[in-house]
Amino acid sequence: MRAAMTILWDSFRLLQAKKLFWIALGISMLVALFYASIGFNAQGMTIFFGWKEFENPLLRQGQPEAAAFYVLLFTDVILKFWLAWIAVALALLSTASIFPDFIAEGSIGISLSKPVGRLRLFLLKYFGGLLFVALQVAVFTVIVFLALGWRTGEWNLTVFWAVPVVTFVFSLLYSVAVWIGVWTKSTLFALLGAFLMWGVALLGQWTESFLYQAAHLVPESGIEFDYRTGQQTEKDEVEKNSTAIDFHKTAKAVVTPLPKTRDCTTYLKRLIKMEERDSMLAGVTFDMLLSGSLPDPKMSGAMKRNDERHSFWYVFGTSAIFEAVVLSLAAWVFCRRDY
Amino acid sequence: MNGPAVEIEYLRKRYGGFEALAGVSLSVPRGSVFGLLGPNGAGKSTMIKSLLTIIRPTECRGRMLGMPIGHRATLGKVGYLPEHARFAEYLTGREVIAYSAGMTGVPVRETRGRVDRLLETVGMKAWGEKKLGTYSKGMRQRIGLAQALVNEPEIVFLDEPTDGVDPEGRIDIRKMIEGMKAEGRTVFVNSHLLGEVEQVADQVAILSHGKVIRSGSVAELTGTGKHFEIRTLGPVPSVLREKLEAAGLQVAGDKVGVPAKDAGEVQSVIDALRAAGVVIRELKESRQTLEELFLSAVQGARQEGGQP
Repeated sequence: MRAAMTILWDSFRLLQAKKLFWIALGISMLVALFYASIGFNAQGMTIFFGWKEFENPLLRQGQPEAAAFYVLLFTDVILKFWLAWIAVALALLSTASIFPDFIAEGSIGISLSKPVGRLRLFLLKYFGGLLFVALQVAVFTVIVFLALGWRTGEWNLTVFWAVPVVTFVFSLLYSVAVWIGVWTKSTLFALLGAFLMWGVALLGQWTESFLYQAAHLVPESGIEFDYRTGQQTEKDEVEKNSTAIDFHKTAKAVVTPLPKTRDCTTYLKRLIKMEERDSMLAGVTFDMLLSGSLPDPKMSGAMKRNDERHSFWYVFGTSAIFEAVVLSLAAWVFCRRDY
Repeated sequence: MNGPAVEIEYLRKRYGGFEALAGVSLSVPRGSVFGLLGPNGAGKSTMIKSLLTIIRPTECRGRMLGMPIGHRATLGKVGYLPEHARFAEYLTGREVIAYSAGMTGVPVRETRGRVDRLLETVGMKAWGEKKLGTYSKGMRQRIGLAQALVNEPEIVFLDEPTDGVDPEGRIDIRKMIEGMKAEGRTVFVNSHLLGEVEQVADQVAILSHGKVIRSGSVAELTGTGKHFEIRTLGPVPSVLREKLEAAGLQVAGDKVGVPAKDAGEVQSVIDALRAAGVVIRELKESRQTLEELFLSAVQGARQEGGQP
């Protein structure tokens, strides 16, 4: 236990020493403050603590849509773009060197000559690297939780799902960086490998999402789309295209073994429960609320099915298997190597 | 506990087709300073790393502190300063030592006191709170020594501890090694600086091409080349010189080298010189230095191995 705490504490000190950690934390604070500055009054939405006002028939103080919008702003914009993209990218840049530096000649010897098993040492060092994102998201989420309670009166503890989910998303990519870093001893290759895997995974998820929309969402919304002319017509019932369904099935099968970085953050919307939103505003997107319009029931039903098309197992289970495999390979290289 | 601190029966390490350690066996007595000598690439660091599980030996039989080599818990009684030690630049000297304390399970309540004492011992008290990035090479080595001692180890492995350290720092490190011995610790020093090892080591082993080619106490090994040196006033006359050389003595100008175990064997040479009217101005007993022993052993091993 003493050794474990020592390694984790050392990881924390390493983070403290990284400029990028403080830069990312600073930006996080600014984003969180901006989020907290958004409020609602009788006319609509205000930003910068009431300095600027936007009229909106849906987003008015006391309306459930306003509360839902506030949560959606967190899950669909801030979390999706800042936490799941920029913060994760900054974290990767900061942490990719942890293992190559750790296993360098003259550095690893001291740790390996202590009465701590190699596997334990590896795992503790790995979890120490995850602190970068876990701490950032935790601080960020606390501010969001307080802002949400202040603005909507709802003290929603489910927003804290963001901490494990975003950390998990980061860990999927970090495991690749660790594996390549341990294997090649190069920070550059570790970074390239992680970003390449991220790109491949995103491409796969976007393709699957696009094909799902073509195969299911569009016809279920009552829209018939002519792919040759680009023309779309609205109908009561539209038959699904079997070829598009097959394409989607194939894409999903290909994507299954890959880490679901995007789908995990999308799934967070389902984990952050909000009574009003979940009962009344199912299938309503952030853009719809911002434009002050609500979709028809058919489209919102299709949107809801689109949002919930993946099971928890598919999103997190298959990603966890990916991580376990990559991490096992990294641990195997780390434990077998001569230093 | 009795028995040697390290008893290697058989240690072998292969890297593909290259044999870094070719079945080494040696014994390190408890409480002694043991010097492992050898040219670069001889396998010195590989041996230490094998004992400390940093390298996985191809074959290893032996015991360290009474337990099989590689026994994890035993490593808690061991200290180690690696060659070219690299400590995290973001840590202070105090934090580096505290990290080693934590890794070896030193209780938190004891750590602060030990770190303070060690910073004082290695002469780094004033620098303990400063980041390693501001340290010189010598300062880093001192901190490295301190972290190797924080768990109060029974055996300390020092791999080239004076490498890159200035002469004053070397003297300090030598004193620290003597201090460790005085505290009853076994010190295992890897070095190619023979003069320094000679000054502190009780036992040495010479490693060449992965094999121990000579081992024993320093007195025993250097004693094998014991001889006497006679200095005369002016050069030895050529007639006498030829006779002495024919008898196996080495004569160079005013110097006569007599291989002998005791002074009695030298008397006949003195008599011969005196009979020839040669004035003797100096007579001294001389031992082979560790450097001479090392060079002759390594060269001998090279010739046996068919290498130039």
